[in-house]
Amino acid sequence: MQLLKSYILPRIAQWVVVIFVGVTVTFLIPRFSPINPVDDMIGRMTAFQTIDPQAVVAMRATMEDLYGLDGSLLEQYVAFWQRLLKGDLGPSFQNFPTPVNDFIAAGLPWTVGLLTTTTLISWLLGIFVGSLVGYFQHRRWAQVLERLVIVIYPMPYLITALILLIVFAFYIPLFPMVGGAQGSPALTWQYISSILRFGFLPALSIVIGGFAFRFIMAKALATTEIASDYVQYAELAAVPKRRIVLSYVIRNTMLPHVNDLALSLGAMFEGALIVEVMFGYPGLGSKLFTAISNADYNIIMGITLMSIVGIATGSLIVDLLYPIFDPRVRLR
Amino acid sequence: MGAIIETKNLRAYYITKAYGVERTVKAVDDISLEIQEGEVYGIAGESGCGKSTLLRILLGAYQPPLTVVGGDVAYHLQGETIHTADMTEEQKHDLRWRTISYIPQGSMHVLNPVRRIRDSFHDFISAHRDVTKSESFRLTADYLRDLGLPEKVMASYPHQLSGGMRQRVTIALATILWPKLIFADEPTTALDVVVQRGVIQMLKDVQQKEGSTLVLITHDIGVHANLAHRIAILYAGKLVEEADTRTILTNPRHPYTKYLIESLPNLDSREERMSIPGRPPALDRPPSGCRFHERCPLVRDICKTIDPQMIQVEPGHRTACHVVEEELSHEPVA
Repeated sequence: MQLLKSYILPRIAQWVVVIFVGVTVTFLIPRFSPINPVDDMIGRMTAFQTIDPQAVVAMRATMEDLYGLDGSLLEQYVAFWQRLLKGDLGPSFQNFPTPVNDFIAAGLPWTVGLLTTTTLISWLLGIFVGSLVGYFQHRRWAQVLERLVIVIYPMPYLITALILLIVFAFYIPLFPMVGGAQGSPALTWQYISSILRFGFLPALSIVIGGFAFRFIMAKALATTEIASDYVQYAELAAVPKRRIVLSYVIRNTMLPHVNDLALSLGAMFEGALIVEVMFGYPGLGSKLFTAISNADYNIIMGITLMSIVGIATGSLIVDLLYPIFDPRVRLR
Repeated sequence: MGAIIETKNLRAYYITKAYGVERTVKAVDDISLEIQEGEVYGIAGESGCGKSTLLRILLGAYQPPLTVVGGDVAYHLQGETIHTADMTEEQKHDLRWRTISYIPQGSMHVLNPVRRIRDSFHDFISAHRDVTKSESFRLTADYLRDLGLPEKVMASYPHQLSGGMRQRVTIALATILWPKLIFADEPTTALDVVVQRGVIQMLKDVQQKEGSTLVLITHDIGVHANLAHRIAILYAGKLVEEADTRTILTNPRHPYTKYLIESLPNLDSREERMSIPGRPPALDRPPSGCRFHERCPLVRDICKTIDPQMIQVEPGHRTACHVVEEELSHEPVA
């Protein structure tokens, strides 16, 4: 009960405030933009044909209503929240009147599927291998592995992705170049295996980068950890190395790792822009890319809102998980 | 009752090399001693005199830059003599905790902060005995009860315990498998005197229960007076005097020991205590001859050049001092 009152509730309140501020900023920024999307639209429609001025006025009113641009700023703001709470993000400008929701719903499963899997794999792999290398840093295999990762890590993502594409899609056509799957969505092995096949290269490219980053982090954390009194003492007492690595080294370095995981998962809703563009993957990232190039504010706003909620929720989960991973947090 | 651990002319140096400059710190220099089974052997001396280094060597837990450059350490366990220099990692692993254990300096941080006390005990017990979790919990609970520790510490995390309780838990953790030989490095340092008393009592209990041998290191002569049967005084990496506790306290012979004992507070006298003039020498360039000669009030010429050998003052009382040697032989030395 005490924990709920002094720890959980304040953090949930914080989460609400962060989302509120984020949404407000997302609401304000496009409205400070010199481009009025309604004028823009009417301008485009009346450019090559004459329309009855009465009709133009009516159309302007309808569009302002649809875009949520009628009334004073405060009225707009209230209406914005009302629509948002109903889950209505408005229509896409580019593909009027398809709702933004449909666009996001189409891209979301791809992105979530790809990024959840790759983030988890690279996170687990990075921590385990990194901590092992940190613990056994004088062994030959550890040194070889570390040098290898240090060579891979600074490679720009674009280069890694291009190399993978050129080698495994072009010269050795093991994997397809573009797309998310083949055939119509169905629960058949054929469709599911095509998802895996199409997703393999983008996933591999993300795992390589994510693994290298987490490896270096885990290794650095483990290196300071093995100098600690309790690790030294456990070693002196001949506690098995497996136990020391798991329950002493990794367990004590978990906080930054959990932080990293939750924030990475939270940031997923922005989509993996470069990955999806490079591999022509049909997720949120490529939707966002198209929307940015077409000034489709509603889609940009929709995706931004998702990622605000995602990151805020991610850090909320981190905060709530802290006491599980470090008992000392409970007292604070 | 024979010796359980014995060193002969033990020399251990810290040898470091940085930018081609080799630096040798002679932390343990030519120490020969014998520790009897079942006794409490105190090792005393100022900070930096090599106490902890000596303990590490005795324990067989050292790595470069600390190197044994000469002499020998031997354990006499169950009728067998084991030289630490010949021990394999596996042998060390087998001896640790079951036979030889260690209570570390600064026990504040030796407990894993994210593990409950009982899980730490299970880690240490299961490393040496084939036990299930519930068996080692029961073993721990019984042992803690024997030592008078509250049962609730079992489920606590280290940060929830007071410093004194953590130290006691650490002592319990080090001795849970009833080792025959226990090394304790400054077990009471950084505790207030009331807690110190409790810890001393606990060490006594642990030692007496199974008649274990306790090698106790501390700069605190008061603790030695309470616990130790015999005391060895170390100065600048050398053993300067060794005798039973009463003799060291009432009839020390080496000038350094005399200073050390005279500096202790005394309830009956209110005069100001003398401190030893000068500072302990740096061990990378120790003075020639007797290492204490620069601070010694009785210094002779011979002290500046010739290193004094250990001589027997009376049975069980050894010291390394030219002046004492001279007094004993009644022959003037140059």
